[in-house]
Amino acid sequence: MRLRAQVKKEVVKVPLSVDERWDLIEKISKQTVEFGARKHTLKDAIAELTVKPLTGIPVAIAVIYGFWAFFCEFAGTLFTDGFMVRLFDEHWLPWLQSVFPGGLGNPFYALMVDAGHLEEGVLVASDNCFEAFGMLTSGLFIVFGVVLWAILAFYLIFAILEDIGYLPRLAVLVDTVLHKIGLHGYAIVPTFLSLGCNVPGVTATRPLETRKQRFMMMTLLAIFVPCGAQIGIMQDLVPEMMGWIFLTLAIGYLGFGFILNKIVPGKSPEIIMDVPPYQMPTLKNIMSKLWIRTSGFLLVAVPFVLLGCLIVGLMYLTGAMDWLAAVFGPLLMVWFGVPSETVAPLIAGFLRKDLAVGMLGGLMEQGIMTPFQVFTSVILLCIYFPCLATFALMIKEENWKELLGSLASLIAMVFVYGGLIHLVGIMLGVA
Amino acid sequence: MNETEEKFGQIYFAVLGAVALAFGVAELIATVPGEASWGIMEMSGIFLPWRAIILLSVGFFYLSSVKNFAEVHQLAKAVMASIMIWIVAGIAIWARIAGSIPGEETWFNSLEGFLASYAPPYCPEMFLLPFSLVIVYYILKEGETVK
Repeated sequence: MRLRAQVKKEVVKVPLSVDERWDLIEKISKQTVEFGARKHTLKDAIAELTVKPLTGIPVAIAVIYGFWAFFCEFAGTLFTDGFMVRLFDEHWLPWLQSVFPGGLGNPFYALMVDAGHLEEGVLVASDNCFEAFGMLTSGLFIVFGVVLWAILAFYLIFAILEDIGYLPRLAVLVDTVLHKIGLHGYAIVPTFLSLGCNVPGVTATRPLETRKQRFMMMTLLAIFVPCGAQIGIMQDLVPEMMGWIFLTLAIGYLGFGFILNKIVPGKSPEIIMDVPPYQMPTLKNIMSKLWIRTSGFLLVAVPFVLLGCLIVGLMYLTGAMDWLAAVFGPLLMVWFGVPSETVAPLIAGFLRKDLAVGMLGGLMEQGIMTPFQVFTSVILLCIYFPCLATFALMIKEENWKELLGSLASLIAMVFVYGGLIHLVGIMLGVA
Repeated sequence: MNETEEKFGQIYFAVLGAVALAFGVAELIATVPGEASWGIMEMSGIFLPWRAIILLSVGFFYLSSVKNFAEVHQLAKAVMASIMIWIVAGIAIWARIAGSIPGEETWFNSLEGFLASYAPPYCPEMFLLPFSLVIVYYILKEGETVK
């Protein structure tokens, strides 16, 4: 009764400050919880080691290394390079080229199978699915040849880490760093989720307490966190640049987060997060999570990739792409240092980033871009606009003021960061 | 665990820690030219600097666990070090499995090609893997003590 009266007395003073709330919690727990002598188990000791910075950081490096290396070997070596490239480039593409009506130069054939490319003024057929750019060739190859395996690998490891109980510990570990940019350690969960797909990542920002934190998190996810599909294609096209790409994005994430924290009004309060004990994951749980997430992803990705192929193909056929390249080409060349041909991937990137990076692959195959231009283009594709599915969700999750704020941030960021990368390239003599 | 087991654990993991540390230093040095080999041991790949950092940490974890080894927090350090080796070596084995299944000219690899994928050289973590498994005995012992 005494406790109830005390709580009543305290709660009357709403709103309580964070410190007052903690004091109240402490008072309640002191009077209601009995702590007996308890010997630490091995599991407890390991749990402690993984949250202390000195021991937790090396463990986190090992876990992230395992995550990434498994992803590369499973999606890249085994499925995409091992089977899918052969299936699509040596069997599917030649078969479609031989049986599909119309042939090279026919508009419908170009949209569905192979747009071809010019070699010394002559239109020649493509010999791989990155270049062909038909809905049934590049569209299906990107989704089922590359992205599906990348997403499977990502969500498999993600579900295991989630079920073991490692993710909340990673959140505790990065809490101090993320507080410097006005976010809570929990922000690592939406960030990690976004590395699979930005859509569930944006949804996972809901537990963040204030509008400021949610706005910041969504903006950072939309700009600096590439999805698993995009990562899968990047890994396939430019594996040697992945370290630099992630470093550039991480610097942008932290740097831009710091700036947003300073200019966006609002509070970044603490949130209480449950850190469960480590436990053995169950196969049933892992499989059901894998199925729900992968099928959900495919439902979003397949239509958008196919639609993207169709729209880009139509823009090429009608000459709209050439017009856009002529209009935006000088800006791209002067400010960002990338060729005007990058316009097409940037437009496709509105629909799907993976599709857009795949288009860059076609430009690389044709020798249009230098390695640094490829690097800059990949970064630009990451930061210039979220894919349509993420954008649609942002419209739902943010009010119009926040949405305009996010868009303004995006535009400012593309010009500042993209220009900065070009400048660094010029200073290093590689641009 | 009894005194003999504790003593054995201390000596064993001190030696294993020193070896892991030496391998870690070797991997770190190998990052400069990009690759290095020594007999059937090879240090190469784009993740080499990261593996070097992990291996150095493994060495430090093992060595710091030696004092008062039977105490649960100290034992946890050795367990964590072993888990880190299992992650890196497990990935190295997985990379070989992934590379051994598809063939170069055919869909699937030939038996000779498949077996050849598992031939040496191996990375240092794979050499440490069997020795790190000794920790399983101590984990089971600790489990018995709790019961």
